[in-house]
Amino acid sequence: MTTRLGTPIQGVTLYSFTRAFHAREYDLEALLRKVAAEGFGPGVEIIGFSSIRDFPKVDDAFVGWFRDIMAELDLVPTSLAANGDWAVDPRRLMSIDEVVEYMTPQVEAAAALGFPVARITPTGLPPEFFEKILPVAERTGVTLALEVHAHHHGRHEDIIRLRDAFERIDSPLLGFTADWGATVVGFAPSLLEAYRRRGASEELLTAVSELWNRTYQEGPPETQEAHGERFGAFIGLAHQYGRPDLGIDFAINGTGLFGPAQIDTWEGIAPWIRHVHGKFFGIDENGEEPSVPVRGLIRFLIEHGYSGAISSEYEGWHWNSWESPFDIIRGEHAVQRSAAADAGSRMITDPAEARAILSSHLAQPTR
Amino acid sequence: MIPDRIIEQNTLKTDGSTSTVEVRLPWYRSLPAASVSEVEFSVDGVAAPADSIRWTMNGRTYRLDDLVGVIDEWWFPTDSAVLSGSIPLEPGGSHEVRVALKLYIPYIVTDHGVLRIEEHNEKTMEAVAS
Repeated sequence: MTTRLGTPIQGVTLYSFTRAFHAREYDLEALLRKVAAEGFGPGVEIIGFSSIRDFPKVDDAFVGWFRDIMAELDLVPTSLAANGDWAVDPRRLMSIDEVVEYMTPQVEAAAALGFPVARITPTGLPPEFFEKILPVAERTGVTLALEVHAHHHGRHEDIIRLRDAFERIDSPLLGFTADWGATVVGFAPSLLEAYRRRGASEELLTAVSELWNRTYQEGPPETQEAHGERFGAFIGLAHQYGRPDLGIDFAINGTGLFGPAQIDTWEGIAPWIRHVHGKFFGIDENGEEPSVPVRGLIRFLIEHGYSGAISSEYEGWHWNSWESPFDIIRGEHAVQRSAAADAGSRMITDPAEARAILSSHLAQPTR
Repeated sequence: MIPDRIIEQNTLKTDGSTSTVEVRLPWYRSLPAASVSEVEFSVDGVAAPADSIRWTMNGRTYRLDDLVGVIDEWWFPTDSAVLSGSIPLEPGGSHEVRVALKLYIPYIVTDHGVLRIEEHNEKTMEAVAS
């Protein structure tokens, strides 16, 4: 590659602090102040439906308050996570036109609040959705970045189909959010510890870890059927070891959180990566992430010229009630900065520099 | 997801025939009322009959059947819903409360249909007069 080395922007998604927010220990303002005080920015991502009451309705008072506090704290809004709730009424799925209509106010909210990117989910949205919502992106100037999340990955056929559509449509406003959970190298030790605390035997934990390692050796499932077989294998293991109650948990996490694709699968969509979820699960006693190859992923992004935001997305909060998510984010940011230096570049931590670089990153054509 | 948070500690109330408890969303983001699919509520192993269960959210009270299709009221992650049902109980004493929820997740649709999570929680607390 002859691409100039990238300079990714450091940041965090408030999703990492879900446990503290849900427990009413920190409200939105307190979390933003904490992020600023700890230096977890400058980039900040929020999930609309998590952090904002009555989302996607945002009135002028809220918009003014949000813009003021972001300015006061010198934080940089990076991505507003939007959701295509096509089963909002679970009795029937929305049509594509209805999903477009449902998501339009979310994209408008992103623009109103100053977010240049709207993270789009679910991954199963077809090319037609993006063709139909593109005018909203053009009107608001918000980039739409579909999240590529395990069990998908950068070379999955569903993703390549979308990439081809984006190539055809040829708009700088359509791209992907790369979620590092697609490219994991081990079953998270902190989750094994959580199962241990729920009484799982060492034999069972070893077997779960080994089963995951086998799926890693085999690579990501090529078909939905193969995905289903793996799901079933985790459940089978739980039954075999007399803990059927843990089966669904093993299966959901083993197939949906820890995606076994190799880092280079991101090659499939690299020019279209507009935003990154730096998904990870914990930091070990050596200060490293034992199950997500953070150093390799940072190197990959830098060598591919990526200068967008990386929202550190700590997912271990689901099961880890014994460690502070703030300490863990601090630890992962240190790994990211060290990895960026090792790759001959750096993470952007200065807010003014971050604003300039993010806007130039998002203005670039995808090809 | 964080099922240990479902029952709010020390919120069990009774008027002698109807018991209530406050419940929290076991998910990270708001869900519409229509996502609340099944609810079970029991105290000391005595289950509230399904037709006696009421769900109060954002100041509005619903029978379980009436939650179907309601997409203009949302359960915010830091709000408590109030769950009530016909369970005879006297104030005082220590009681085992159990709540089980089945919730549809509106953006996750698999080959098996819309994802419906099943979470439950048990907590021990004293009942106070409502």
